[in-house]
Amino acid sequence: MANSDPDKLIAKADKLTRLSLTRWSADWRNATALYEQAAIAYRLAKKYDKAKDTFEKASRGQEMLSSPWDAAKHMESAAALAKDLGNWNEVADLYKRASELYIESGRAQPASDALAKGARALEDALPDEAIRLYTDACETLEDDGKEQMAFDLYRAATNVYVKLEKYADAATFLLRWALAADKCNATHSQCKAYLSAIIVYLYAHDFQQAEKCHNDCCQVEAFLNSDQNRAATRLLSAYTDGDVEEIKRAAQSSIISNLDHVVSPIFHMNISIKKKTFDSD
Amino acid sequence: MSVIDILFRVDAICKKYDKYDVEKQRSLSGSSDDAFARLFASFEEQIETTLHKAEMAMTETNRATVVAMKAEVRRMKARLLDEVPKLQKLAQKKVKGLSQEELEIRNELVLALPERIQAIPDGSTSAAKQTGGWGASSSHKNINFDSGLDVISEGLDLLKNLAKDMNEELDRQVPLVDEIETKVDKSSAELRNTNVRLKTTLTKVRSSQNFCIDIILLCIILGIATYLYK
Repeated sequence: MANSDPDKLIAKADKLTRLSLTRWSADWRNATALYEQAAIAYRLAKKYDKAKDTFEKASRGQEMLSSPWDAAKHMESAAALAKDLGNWNEVADLYKRASELYIESGRAQPASDALAKGARALEDALPDEAIRLYTDACETLEDDGKEQMAFDLYRAATNVYVKLEKYADAATFLLRWALAADKCNATHSQCKAYLSAIIVYLYAHDFQQAEKCHNDCCQVEAFLNSDQNRAATRLLSAYTDGDVEEIKRAAQSSIISNLDHVVSPIFHMNISIKKKTFDSD
Repeated sequence: MSVIDILFRVDAICKKYDKYDVEKQRSLSGSSDDAFARLFASFEEQIETTLHKAEMAMTETNRATVVAMKAEVRRMKARLLDEVPKLQKLAQKKVKGLSQEELEIRNELVLALPERIQAIPDGSTSAAKQTGGWGASSSHKNINFDSGLDVISEGLDLLKNLAKDMNEELDRQVPLVDEIETKVDKSSAELRNTNVRLKTTLTKVRSSQNFCIDIILLCIILGIATYLYK
């Protein structure tokens, strides 16, 4: 049976599921098994679109059999194949459906993983959709109380925002990250997130916002007494004075170099831009 | 005989037996040959007198005398300092019969002279000058210390950041590891259970003698069958 043509398997499975006069209830168990075999065969034969469709059918079969976990797994496989095919809208839908099924089976971590995979696949093609998926993934984890796992997602989302040059959104997201870090008492990550937000505002040449952000962050005790606050104060005072050398020196400090790889190269670019604006002034 | 008579007579005797005074002869002979040695000797002498005067100034109670003595000391110090370059020039000159080491020693002595002269307390700004001197030399050392400390502090900052990141990463891993632990405990309990059941089943079958006899008989039958069919 395993060696037979996948088309034949599918035809057989379809017959099992189609209701007619002779068949009063669909035999989902056998049908699902046939669908799975067919899908794997298609994948081996590199017929990705057919494999994707078959996986979707297999997933539906598993749903009927009340096993959302297997259904979600099949959906994920289908989504991965859709990614290979380049059907971006389908990718987003399939991954979302997969994560819903995971949540149904009570497992939040794989749900957010599915959304994250989808977002990563869509970063280049549909960045807005990717950001939406990342946000949903973060929310899923936060609902389940696992904010610690969300840090990587926050970082990836910030990366996408910065690539899209949506700096205000990036800074807001960083502040959300800081909130999540606060909930799980990760003070170091929290302070790093605050400092990154201030730097992103400065990069967007929005000095008032940066100042406001800094004032808000100083309300938080953990940030107030941290090294990051010192670096931030130094940086802001260097900006107010307009001293390019001082800004450069502040940037060389290890605190800023230790920030995420997303923010730290921004910062070095920022210095060169600032220098240009000062030279032109 | 009066005291003065005694003094005169002692002087006469000393003059007569001068040739047996080793030190004096040495200094006399030295002074005749080496200009450096001569000058150096005179320098030493003057420094000694200045020091002596300074000490007296410190023990003197009369203020006016103290002031006069200190002024005298300062004047002598200034004069000595002016003559040090002359001595330095002489020290550089090579003299017949003088080894290289002695030349170096002379140079060092000359270099040490200004410090010695300065060290003579004239009560004016000696303390301040001393600490000033100390400050100048230590600020140079301080700069070296500061740059070294800066490097160390940068390294420590880096270490601190790394350590904090590691801390948070481990905090993240803790609940995951707990989950793994519960799952592994469950699996190992199930495995143990299965093993016990397997063991009981096997012993039930094995311990009976029939099992071995069954196997032997089965082998014999198979052998006969093969023989018959071959």
